[in-house]
Amino acid sequence: MILVAIFLPLLAALPLGLMGTPSQGALVNAVLSGIVFILTLVAFAAPGSGLVHADELGLVFGGVTGFTGLTTAVANIFYLREAEPRLSLRRWRVYHAMCQVVLGSTLLGLYADNIGLLWAAVEGATIAATLAVSMPRTPSALEAAWKYFILGGVGIGLALFGTMLVYLAAQPALGPGFSAMSFTALAAHAPGMDGSLLTLAFVLILFGYGTKAALVPLHGWLPDAYAEGPAPLTTSLSGPLLNVALIAILRFRHLLEANYASGGTALPPGPFLLTLGLASLFLAAFSFSRRRDARRFFGFSSIEHSGIAAFAFGVGGAAAIFGGLLHMLLHTLIKSALLQVLIRAAALRGSTAPGHYGFSHLRGLIHSNKYTALVLGAAMFALTGLPPSGLFASEFIIISQTIQRSPWASLPLGLGLLLCAIPILRNFGPLVFGHAPVRMKPSKATPETHLVTLHLALSVVLAFAMPPMLVGLLSHVAEALK
Amino acid sequence: MSLTFPLAHLMGGIILVFAFSLLSQRRLAAMITIYQIQAFVLSAAAFWQGYAQHEVNLYLTGLITLVIKAILLPIGLRQIVLRFNMIRAVETAMPVVLSMIVGVGLIGVAVLVVLPSTMSAVSLTREDLAIALSVVLLGLMVMVTRRNALAQILGFLSTENGLVLAAIGMPGMPFVAEFSVALLVLLAFLVVGVFLFRIREHFDTLDLTGIEEIERRGR
Repeated sequence: MILVAIFLPLLAALPLGLMGTPSQGALVNAVLSGIVFILTLVAFAAPGSGLVHADELGLVFGGVTGFTGLTTAVANIFYLREAEPRLSLRRWRVYHAMCQVVLGSTLLGLYADNIGLLWAAVEGATIAATLAVSMPRTPSALEAAWKYFILGGVGIGLALFGTMLVYLAAQPALGPGFSAMSFTALAAHAPGMDGSLLTLAFVLILFGYGTKAALVPLHGWLPDAYAEGPAPLTTSLSGPLLNVALIAILRFRHLLEANYASGGTALPPGPFLLTLGLASLFLAAFSFSRRRDARRFFGFSSIEHSGIAAFAFGVGGAAAIFGGLLHMLLHTLIKSALLQVLIRAAALRGSTAPGHYGFSHLRGLIHSNKYTALVLGAAMFALTGLPPSGLFASEFIIISQTIQRSPWASLPLGLGLLLCAIPILRNFGPLVFGHAPVRMKPSKATPETHLVTLHLALSVVLAFAMPPMLVGLLSHVAEALK
Repeated sequence: MSLTFPLAHLMGGIILVFAFSLLSQRRLAAMITIYQIQAFVLSAAAFWQGYAQHEVNLYLTGLITLVIKAILLPIGLRQIVLRFNMIRAVETAMPVVLSMIVGVGLIGVAVLVVLPSTMSAVSLTREDLAIALSVVLLGLMVMVTRRNALAQILGFLSTENGLVLAAIGMPGMPFVAEFSVALLVLLAFLVVGVFLFRIREHFDTLDLTGIEEIERRGR
């Protein structure tokens, strides 16, 4: 089942890329994403085994990835109606193929129980996303794609080197062969691994996968990719991809921590993650001001939330990791909802092409359409982490754990969170309730806005009324990875 | 047996020397030649490791390196150079001498980082790893210091060579990594080939200093 969920989209990419009209492509894309979503749910009953199998972490995040993939694909059908004339037939085919490749490789990255396969999945997704970002073929899209390619290439290179060093570090415990590349086996034998080599490997992996998770200092590609690429693919689907990288960092962190805790020669991973997390948080806080493009603005918000998750993993302990994982789940739901409703808002104002997402262009949305404006406002408010947003719950857990375990870091964390919330709140008023640009007529909402509402509702439910089964799963994961 | 270490180290050293000369070379045609020789030596190193470790997989790695990296990619790269008529030397972001000094520093860092932390590992892998990390860092350095898009790609490819050099030195490392590197490098190259044409189309040059559209328009 897991294998089908991964390889169906990857294989379907080929025919999607070669034939069909754009609207057929969008429809097939949505149907495939629906099947994949169902399969990621079926995986809860049949997680599989061996090289590619869903552990508990993979199950939870696989489900969210499938859900986001489905809503993105459905919203994409409506996006296409407006955007179809902007790209040629061939590019639309490639675009839909790339949607499937990104979805498939994201799932492969989540389900792979092999550090090499994980790396291959991340590289595949990077190449597909690079190709997608360059799709509009405008000078700024090419600039963004080139940045993505160069930074992504550096990150992927470092990550592969780190992966090989992990394999080498596992030699004393596991010997040559496939078992030294399996997360399950590595986690079981972490105390016997070569600690100093493992530390070196972790640093390389942190910077390597940190590039994909948009952690400082290799974050530069993300805001541009969000702002310049064709909307649904490069924005909504990138949330799950950030998760893959963060989860990879979390799993490797666990190896290091286990080795350190059992008296090995590894350094504790906490300080590395705390530093990068705080740096990302503050970079985002100071980059928010003076952003004119809404999608670039919210790109920096993704950097912020990646930083918070990395920080939580750095704090360590089961509760903080639980908080970090919850934060990632909720952020994926909220951010992809926000970016989808932004596309809707831009469509209300005439065009969804990159460059039409300026705050000055979108302001006063309530005069164009009430429902869309309120949903956009709700999504923005949710991002600030103020109650009743779901992120409040996860940030609360992370802060209280920080005070308990590394009190010195709680002050900068609180300050960073505050500094990040203020600019979002400052843009909230004008964007939703401000004066609309002249000659703006009210127009109708489209049905896919309900999907955004669904995303937001789901995030609140997950945060405040999480099903006991899911709580059990997540705390079990956090306990195992602490 | 006695030949295993010296020969593996010799080939690693040659690859490092070529990675270093890639840093100093400013003409694209010469950079491609250097990359090609580097890839040839890499495939020879893979064959040698395959012979020494009795691993069939490594022969396959060597073969893939030989066909894709040493033969096919340089042909494609040369065609791009011809098509774009880029015979002249390309711009560098910092003086070549300075970048070479930094390059020496990077090799020093790689050695200082890898050797102490691999005390318990097999000695063949130990020095190979230091060399491989140096090649990777030098490749990244090339990407940083060149303003031409094609030269940056050559830096990227040299980095990948360093990664494969590390991979073939690992005792019994499953085949997955090397294979995917080779395949994905090819894929990346195709993607990038498309890019180059588009960049040229929009900016009339492959010099990336012109690409500041986002800065110019404001964010």
